[in-house]
Amino acid sequence: MQLDTKSSILEKTLQARLPGLTVTVFGRFRDFQDAFASKPPAAVLAVSPLLEQEHQRVTIQGTRGGKDWEPYVLVSVGPMKSVDGKTVGIVDLFGHDGTQAFAASLLKTNDVKIKRVAKIEDLLPLIEFSAADAILIPQAGVKRLTERTRLPLTVRELPNGRFGLPAVGVVDPAARDAVVRLIEGLDAQTRGLIGVEGWELK
Amino acid sequence: MKRRLTPLAARALFSLALAGCATTGGGGNVPVAAPQQIVDPAPRPGAPLVLIAMPDSSEFLDVRRTLVAEIRKNFNVSTYVVGPSTTAKDFGQELAKVAPTCVVVMNNATVNLLREVQHARAGAGPFPPTVVVMSSFLEELRPTLTNATGIAYEVPGVTAFINLRSISRAPLKRVGVVYRPPFRGFIERQERLAAREQIELVKTELPKDFGAGELRAALQSLLVDKHVDALWMLNDNGLIRSREFLDQTWRAALRDTRVPLIVGVPNLIDAQSPLGSIAVVPDHEALGLQAANLIFDLSSEGWDAQAHDVELPLSVKTVVDVKQLSATVGLKDDALRHIDKAVE
Repeated sequence: MQLDTKSSILEKTLQARLPGLTVTVFGRFRDFQDAFASKPPAAVLAVSPLLEQEHQRVTIQGTRGGKDWEPYVLVSVGPMKSVDGKTVGIVDLFGHDGTQAFAASLLKTNDVKIKRVAKIEDLLPLIEFSAADAILIPQAGVKRLTERTRLPLTVRELPNGRFGLPAVGVVDPAARDAVVRLIEGLDAQTRGLIGVEGWELK
Repeated sequence: MKRRLTPLAARALFSLALAGCATTGGGGNVPVAAPQQIVDPAPRPGAPLVLIAMPDSSEFLDVRRTLVAEIRKNFNVSTYVVGPSTTAKDFGQELAKVAPTCVVVMNNATVNLLREVQHARAGAGPFPPTVVVMSSFLEELRPTLTNATGIAYEVPGVTAFINLRSISRAPLKRVGVVYRPPFRGFIERQERLAAREQIELVKTELPKDFGAGELRAALQSLLVDKHVDALWMLNDNGLIRSREFLDQTWRAALRDTRVPLIVGVPNLIDAQSPLGSIAVVPDHEALGLQAANLIFDLSSEGWDAQAHDVELPLSVKTVVDVKQLSATVGLKDDALRHIDKAVE
């Protein structure tokens, strides 16, 4: 997920709001992938495309504004006519190959060099240092970005740049009821921290 | 029975403090570095080899861990631990033995060994491309190396300034800095970067040799005459020297002011003995990801490291003296959500 909160704060908050569950927040895709492979958890909370990549069915889908997806946007310093041949930064959501493919599908071109970063706030330095020509972020991240920087940003919506919101996939069927009950019981503030307004049971 | 719910969150790695991160978010817990063993992934036939030459202390292991996790599917990895007794001859023999496609070198001592090896082998054919990380002033070191690039270790001032500005209620438009002559080029680069964020670096160059009185006067001039909104302390031993020197200079100048001090090492953030207001330090695990990306880039660009500019570090962690910053510039309501470690 690409949230406007440090992962340790998120872990602490979720742990307090989800009694009976042990919550582990992974800050990097590889750590999540390794832990998932070696010791599968009872459930996973992640953006739904990641669940799909890990072959996990969505049990509860997060929603915001009545939608289960959010648009992705391309942000550059000043206007940019074309991304062809350019360098574009993105948070590493799916590992090297997966993130490259994801970015290419959003931009509808393979003629682009992708730079992956670990955290959403690391995208700003990319354009600040001119290490990338543009960055890809969820539209919800634009507000925080413009609060942080004085760079003259140009935000361009990407046609069909739809990206699934956070969702929960239950890995251990025996934990399903407990997980669903606890997730559905999260208060509005905690849901806001995760980036959703409500849940939809699948 | 407790179940584990595993969220993938925030694209931040601060919860990975169990693996030895320097900071954790907001909770104030001091992470304990777990001992890490160096085990290279099982080799894949035909995959190019990356040799990682590094000391084995925790921060280097943090970088290596992420780096290896990222590249292990595409490259074989061999780790060579460099200690105080390692000689250039030892390192040269290791390089000859494993014949890497790419070398990753961590810290200045290892860079020095590499330079010796390169000089000893000058004219004996091309040297594998080298990625240097966690070495001070790489821009200045690079011309002394062959086919090398890397990631600068110093956190750019603008990164630190933005982190302060994003949590502070007070405006941040002018940041004062004092520096010694060897840092002039570095400061000029920082000035240009800060200007992009509409922050003016108000700079004072110190003489080559100076004492506590001259440093204190330079700081006081920035605070009183030039009305800076914050001071930035460079990671330069010449400006820090000792506790007594800090008392006579930085603490003396900052006493009775409401100007925050930005520092580059977390141990200068101490609520019991306040000095630094915010420390902005490299995020070592994210640095491993950046190094991995650099290796992928070099691989796709024909391993011409010399053609690849030194990169600036992208990822940092913040340690904040919450009480001090609240009392001086004030903290925004959501500030704690954006701080990795709050010292209170």
